[in-house]
Amino acid sequence: MTYRKPLPQPNADTKPFWDGCKQHQLRFQKCRDCQYVRWPPSIICPRCHSQDTEWIVASGRGRVYTFAVYHQAFHESFREDLPYITAIIELEEGPHLLSNIVGCNPREVKCDMPVEVVWEDITEEFTLPKFRIATQPDVNS
Amino acid sequence: MSMNLKDKYAIVGIGYTEQGRVPNRTALSFYVEACANAIKDAGLKKEDIDGLICYRYFQPARGEREVTPYVTAQCLGLSPKYLSQEANCARSHLYHALGVLEAGLCSYVVIAYADNALSSQRLIDDIDPDKAVFGQIGYPAEYAMAAQRAMYTFRTGPETWKEIAVGQRKWANLNPKAYFHNRPLTYEDYYNSKWVVEPFRVPDCCLISDGGRAYVVTSVERARDLRRPPVVIMGIGQHNPSSYIDQSTWMAGPSGAKIAGEIAFKMAGITLDDIDACEIYDCFTYTVELTLQDYGFFRPGEGLDWFKDGTIAPGGRLPVNTSGGLLAEAYFMGMTPLTEAVMQLMGRCGDRQLGARTGTREPEIILCSDNGATFQTHCCTILRRF
Ligand SMILES: [Zn+2]
Repeated sequence: MTYRKPLPQPNADTKPFWDGCKQHQLRFQKCRDCQYVRWPPSIICPRCHSQDTEWIVASGRGRVYTFAVYHQAFHESFREDLPYITAIIELEEGPHLLSNIVGCNPREVKCDMPVEVVWEDITEEFTLPKFRIATQPDVNS
Repeated sequence: MSMNLKDKYAIVGIGYTEQGRVPNRTALSFYVEACANAIKDAGLKKEDIDGLICYRYFQPARGEREVTPYVTAQCLGLSPKYLSQEANCARSHLYHALGVLEAGLCSYVVIAYADNALSSQRLIDDIDPDKAVFGQIGYPAEYAMAAQRAMYTFRTGPETWKEIAVGQRKWANLNPKAYFHNRPLTYEDYYNSKWVVEPFRVPDCCLISDGGRAYVVTSVERARDLRRPPVVIMGIGQHNPSSYIDQSTWMAGPSGAKIAGEIAFKMAGITLDDIDACEIYDCFTYTVELTLQDYGFFRPGEGLDWFKDGTIAPGGRLPVNTSGGLLAEAYFMGMTPLTEAVMQLMGRCGDRQLGARTGTREPEIILCSDNGATFQTHCCTILRRF
């Protein structure tokens, strides 16, 4: 079946992230000077303005910072998913990433709940990082 | 911005258009009409206007080109010394106007916002591909996320927000220009309304409107000779946390309202007790709660008790959004609250006029807010009767 939803549009800043997703790796930039892990990608560290940057692979574990439950479709292609959950995930490494929480009833989701990444290969070219309620014990608790 | 701006500048005219659902009109036509009406309302001639700021954010409707300040000036027959387009929700347009007035570059500045968003039926304004792939489209979810985090952080939720929706609807029912005039809202109606993006129901969300709004700013000195009693800017402050919602850590407060409010109150030299009414940017009910909370009217989680029993409604001790606001009158960005404050202070509000008519305090000082994107920008403006 053809994938009808919007597709990622990688640009010079975000291409390494989407390339990582294709390999089921959650990649973020890390500042080599102050160790700050940032998202979205940028030419400099917003904390110290260093350009000395490396890409790290995140664990894929985090917590629900906040979420919302769509009951109306703002784009036709998401109508079949209603109600669906969008969420901001606070990853263990620090960055906040917008994604979906899947595989559960919206009533089960709470702020600060531990979650882990699951990969959805949506097309030949693209994979989306989504999250589910954690099945592994939360190492931080 | 320096403290010597206090009481130096005033709003002297307001331009309305037909509003609500007004089909077969371009956005440009509303800009031009609102500006012309504001100039006329102030008792000025178009030749007097030497500054024009067109606020623009949403994409033009199909078949219409972008409403640039050029084309608005052209249609108004203006060739101003200062021409600017305020865009992407920065809400700095009044700062810009005060800046060029204070610098002596301009004498009379018109600020306008208009759109035909309701009748042109644009569903999606701008899609950020990194969000759209997850179905995160439109502002309701962005604010719903903020509201959800607030529900986790302090005591709030639909129980609090219903007071805002119902209170503002009562004001709308006194305003013949309001979209929801003659359409009351009860607590029961509120709870029976459909979810849009949970935790928001339909009455938690602002209107989409056709129409426009404009106002004229000048010095208090020049204002003395004009047609209307001027409404004086006592204080103004802005703060821009700037980061998008997915990187925000202030979505449950304090938002930009805290610092913006402190700057404005310091400039005005007054306290919260001096405020007779508030006109608060109300894209969503929760925005009203967080803004008033960050200004210091109540502490986090005390909103429910504070709003209860019609505090903000006609007859209440602190009227809020007396036109019905963005929730129930019309959506013209921060123009809806600011122009309503001006109309109230000029005493031109008919059945909804603050004072004896609505069982509220005679308005001397009104606090206004404007807020852009998802709590990324905040502008606080304190206005007083001349
Ligand atoms: Zn750094």
